[in-house]
Amino acid sequence: MLKNWTNIFIYHIRNNKFFTALNVLGLSIGIAGLIFSILYWNEEHSYDQWNPEKDKIFLVLNDLGGGNVWAVNSAISGPTLKTATSDLQEYCYFTTDYARETMQYNGKIEVVDKIFSAQGNFFSFFPFEFVKGSRKSALHDRNSIAISEQTASRLFKNENPMGKQVKYAEKLFVVRGIYRLNEKSSVMPAAVTTIIEEDLEKNKESWGFNYGLMLKLKRQSDTTAVIKKLNEIYVENNYKKQAKEEGITYEAYLKQYGEPTKALFLPFPGSRLVPGNFPFPEGNTNVRFLRILMGLSILILLLSIVNYINLATANAVKRAKEVGVRKIVGATKGQIIAQFVFETTLITLFSLLLALVIVELSLPFYNSLLNKNLILEGSQFYVQLIFIFIIVILVSGVFPAIYVSNFEPLKVLKGNFSRSKNGIWLRNGMLVLQFAIATFFIIGSFIVYQQVHYMANKDLGFKGAQVMDISFKPKKGKKQFERYKTIRQELLKIKGVEAVSAGVFSFGTNVNSWSGMHYKDDKEVITQQMAIDFGIFDVLGIKVIKGRDLSSQFASDTLSNVLLNETAAKTLMEKDPLNKEIVWGGRKLKVVGIVKDFNYFGLENRIAPMIFLHITSFEWMQKDLRNISVKIASQHMPETIAALDKFWKTKVDTEYPFEYNFVDKNFARTYKDYQNQSKLFSLLNCIVILIAVFGLFALASFSMERRLREIAIRKTLGADTNVLLQDLSKQYVIFCAIGFAVGIIPAYLLLQKWLEDFAFRIDIPVLPFLLALVLLMFLTLTIVLAKAYQVTKIDVLKYLKYE
Amino acid sequence: MINIKKLSKIFRTEEVETNALSEITLTINQGDFVSIMGPSGSGKSTLLNIIGLLDSASGGSYELLGQEMIGLKEQLKSKARKENIGFIFQNFNLIDELSVYDNIELPLIYNNVPSSDRKKKVGDIATILGISHRLKHYPQQLSGGQQQRVAVARALINNPAIILADEPTGNLDSKNGNEVMELLTDLHASGATILMVTHSDYDASFSQRTILMKDGMILSEKTNNRNVDVFAANLNN
Repeated sequence: MLKNWTNIFIYHIRNNKFFTALNVLGLSIGIAGLIFSILYWNEEHSYDQWNPEKDKIFLVLNDLGGGNVWAVNSAISGPTLKTATSDLQEYCYFTTDYARETMQYNGKIEVVDKIFSAQGNFFSFFPFEFVKGSRKSALHDRNSIAISEQTASRLFKNENPMGKQVKYAEKLFVVRGIYRLNEKSSVMPAAVTTIIEEDLEKNKESWGFNYGLMLKLKRQSDTTAVIKKLNEIYVENNYKKQAKEEGITYEAYLKQYGEPTKALFLPFPGSRLVPGNFPFPEGNTNVRFLRILMGLSILILLLSIVNYINLATANAVKRAKEVGVRKIVGATKGQIIAQFVFETTLITLFSLLLALVIVELSLPFYNSLLNKNLILEGSQFYVQLIFIFIIVILVSGVFPAIYVSNFEPLKVLKGNFSRSKNGIWLRNGMLVLQFAIATFFIIGSFIVYQQVHYMANKDLGFKGAQVMDISFKPKKGKKQFERYKTIRQELLKIKGVEAVSAGVFSFGTNVNSWSGMHYKDDKEVITQQMAIDFGIFDVLGIKVIKGRDLSSQFASDTLSNVLLNETAAKTLMEKDPLNKEIVWGGRKLKVVGIVKDFNYFGLENRIAPMIFLHITSFEWMQKDLRNISVKIASQHMPETIAALDKFWKTKVDTEYPFEYNFVDKNFARTYKDYQNQSKLFSLLNCIVILIAVFGLFALASFSMERRLREIAIRKTLGADTNVLLQDLSKQYVIFCAIGFAVGIIPAYLLLQKWLEDFAFRIDIPVLPFLLALVLLMFLTLTIVLAKAYQVTKIDVLKYLKYE
Repeated sequence: MINIKKLSKIFRTEEVETNALSEITLTINQGDFVSIMGPSGSGKSTLLNIIGLLDSASGGSYELLGQEMIGLKEQLKSKARKENIGFIFQNFNLIDELSVYDNIELPLIYNNVPSSDRKKKVGDIATILGISHRLKHYPQQLSGGQQQRVAVARALINNPAIILADEPTGNLDSKNGNEVMELLTDLHASGATILMVTHSDYDASFSQRTILMKDGMILSEKTNNRNVDVFAANLNN
C-alpha cells in the first residue's frame, strides 16, 4: 500500500517540480518562523530553572502608588523583619546593577564587567556549582571575593586563585571561592563581594530605597502574613516616626504625603517574565516583544498552511480521475483520506527538515538582531518540534484529504467534475484571508518603520554629537568633585576641547535617582534628581527658557538654588514658578530657572519632572559622580581623542582604561532594540508577501486551467483576448479588495495599541494603508494577468475534442 | 446470479425530472455473456452503473449473489463491488501516473492480499493477456489495444463473479477491438459471467443474449447465433 502511494507521490513531484518546490518552501518558511520564536521563548523561560531554591525565594518590591512600583528596598526592612517575625528563614540584600571595574592581580590589570555585591548568604539563594571552595565559606567575611571560572582564568591563567589577593575598588580581597556559571540565571556575575555590607551599615537608619532584597520563607503559604508585617514596619518606623518629628498627627501626615508604600512579593520562579521593574542586574524579558513575535510567527505559519490547503484542493482536480478509479477498484473513503494525509506527511517532513536548515543558517543573523545566543537544541525543543509537525499535518492535510475523498467515481470518470459550491467558497475565503494577512503585515511594518524613524530623528531637547561621556572612576581617599575640578582645568588646556562639565547622570543608561518634591501643601511630586556642575546645559545644548542657569557668580547657586524642567514646573501650578520655594531632600530650595524638557530615557517614556541642583549642594551627591562630559571640536577629532587618552592615562587613572561614548550614540541605545525589531518586522513582511504572492499565483493557475474548456469554447465563439483577460482576472481583483478591507481593521487596532506604549509617537498615517492597497493590487494584477495571458493563448482544438 | 425486478432510476435536477430507467426486470445467470444495446439516452450505461454498484436506484429490487443491493449503505456496496465485480471502460480509466504493474496490482492492495501473493498474481495474469513485457511501462506508452488489455487484467485479477464492460471497443480500431472481443469470448469460454454495453452489432454478436433498450425500458431480448468462419479468423491472426 505505502509503496503504491509513494510511487504516485514521486511521480507527481517529478512532474510538478516547480509547484512542489514552492509548496515545500512556503510551508518550511512558515515552520522556520515559528521555530525562531520558539527558540526565543524557550530561552527566556529557561532562566533559573536549574535553581533548586527557586520556589522558596521571594523578591520584595515596593508600590509607591501612582503606578510607581520599585524593585529596590531600604536597609531597614530586612533586619527589622527578621526580628519581627519567625516566618522568615533568611534574607539577602544585593546590588541591582553590575559594576564594571578593574581587578588587579600581580600587577596585571583586567577590566571586568558584571561585578556584583550581595550579603554573605548569597550563595544559599543561588547555589552555583563551586569548583574550588564552597558556598558557605566563599563570602565569609568583608575581604572575601568569589569569582567565576572565566574570571579566574583571565586573572590567574593556570595558577590556583584560592587564597590569593586581588585589588578591586581600591581594596584588597582574598579569593575564597571559584564558581561555575553553566546555566542561565537572573544573576550571572563575574565576581561577587560583600562590600554592600558597608553601605547597609552606613544606611541602616535610612529609608532610602537602594537595594534589591530577596527572602526565603519557612513556609510558602506565609506570604500574606509577612507582607502585612513589612507594611506595619514601614508605617511604624517611617510614617509615624516622621509625623512625630514634624509634630503632626499620623492622619495629617497621611493627607500630605499620601498612602504609605506597600510591599509586594514577587515569587522568584518566572519573575523575569513579569513586566515592570526587576531587581536583578541581568534584566527581565521584554515580554511584549516576545508575545508579538510569537503572534506574528503563528500568523505566518497559518498563512503557509492556508496556502498549502488552497493548493491541495485546487490540485485535487488533477487527481480526480485517479481517485475515481481507486474507489471503483475498491478503495474506501478512509483509505483515500489516509493516502492524501500520507502525502501531506511526506511534504511536511521535507518542509520541516528544510525549515531546520533555514533556521541553522540564519541563526547568527537572528541572534544579532535579538542580542541573544540561541542554539538549535534542547529536549523541550524536540518535543515542541514533534508537536508542530503533527499539528501542521492535521491542519493542512486533513481538509484537502476529506475534500478529495468525497469525489464520486461516476462523476469524475465521466469528466463531469462539477464544482461543489461549498468547496469554492472555502477556497475563496482562504484567499481573502491570505490577502488580509498580507495587508496587515505591509501596513504594520511600514508604521513600525515610521515610528522608529521618528524616534531616530526626533529633536530630543539636547545635542549629543561631539559630546564625549568619559568614565570617571572614584579613587580612595579623594573627593570626586575636587578631583573633577582639577581635571577640568587640565582638560580645557588640551587642543580641540571646547567645554568641560559634569552631571550625575548618563544618557542611554538607566541610571536614575528620585526623590519627593514638595511645594506648599501640595501632594508630593516624585522628581528625578539631576546633580550638575556649571556649564553642563551649554555642553549638552539644553535650553534654559525662563530665569537663568546656575553660575559660579552666585554663591547660593552651589547651596540652595535649583532649576526645574517644564514638567516639574507645571506641577507647582503657578503662573510664574520663578523664585518660588520648594522642599526637596529635606531642605528648602529656590527655583531660579526653568529648563526646556528633554528626553533622558528612551522615547517610550514620558518626560519626568526633573530638578537640577549643583553637585555640591548636597554632601552625598558627589560620590555618584561617575562621568565627565567633554565637548570637542568636530575637526581633528582623532587627535583630540588621542590627546585626551594620553592625559587620562597619566594624570587621572592609571588603572582603569580611558573609556568614553559619544552622548548621541549613547542615547541611540535606547531605541536600538526598536530598530532591530523594525528590521525583523520588515523581514517577516517580505516573507509574508512572498508566500501570499506564490499562493495567489498557484491558485490562479489551477483555477484557470480548470476553465480551459470554457475558454476554448468562448474563443471559438469569437471572444478576443482582452475580454477573456478581464473575465479571468476580475474575481481576483475583487478578492484582493475584500482581503484588504478585512485586513486594515486589525492592522489599525493592533498598531494603535503598540504605539500607545510610546510616550512620543507618530499618529497613524494614511500612507501605509494606501501603499498596501496599491502594492497588493499591483502584485495581484501582475500575476493574474500574466497567467491569464498565457492561458488565452491555448490551442482551442485540444480542449474541444476532449470528451 | 443477478436478479433485477422493477428497477427505476430518476435523475432530478433543480427543475427537471428525467426517468432514466422505468421498471426494468432482468435476470442474469452464472456463465452468461449478455449484451445491452440501444440508442443514446436509452439508459444502458445507467443500468450498468447500477448493476456495478456505482450508482443507486430510485426504486425496485436488485439482488446480487442472493443479497439485496438497493438501500445498502455506501460502505457495504463498496465492499460488495470490490469483491465481486470487475470493470472495463470505454476510455480504459487507467491511472496514468502509475506503471502498468501498479495499475493491475491496485485491486489486490485494496482487497488486502499479502504482497508476496500479489507479485505472482500480477505476473500470471499479465502473461495470460500477453502484456508481461510492458509491466514497467506507463499507460501513455502503450497502444490503445494494450491499454484495454491492462484494464482487462485489472478487472480480472481479483477473480470477480461478474465482469461489466461499458463499450470496451469504443476507443479502439477494428483490429484491436477484435482482439478484445476475442479475449472476452475466451474468458466466457472459461466460465466468466460478462455483461456488456455496446453500440456495435458486431460486438454484440460475440455474446449469447442481446437486450435491446429504448427510453429506459427493455424492448426485447434475443439470443445470438454466431457463425464463426474458423479458417478466416485463424488466417487473419
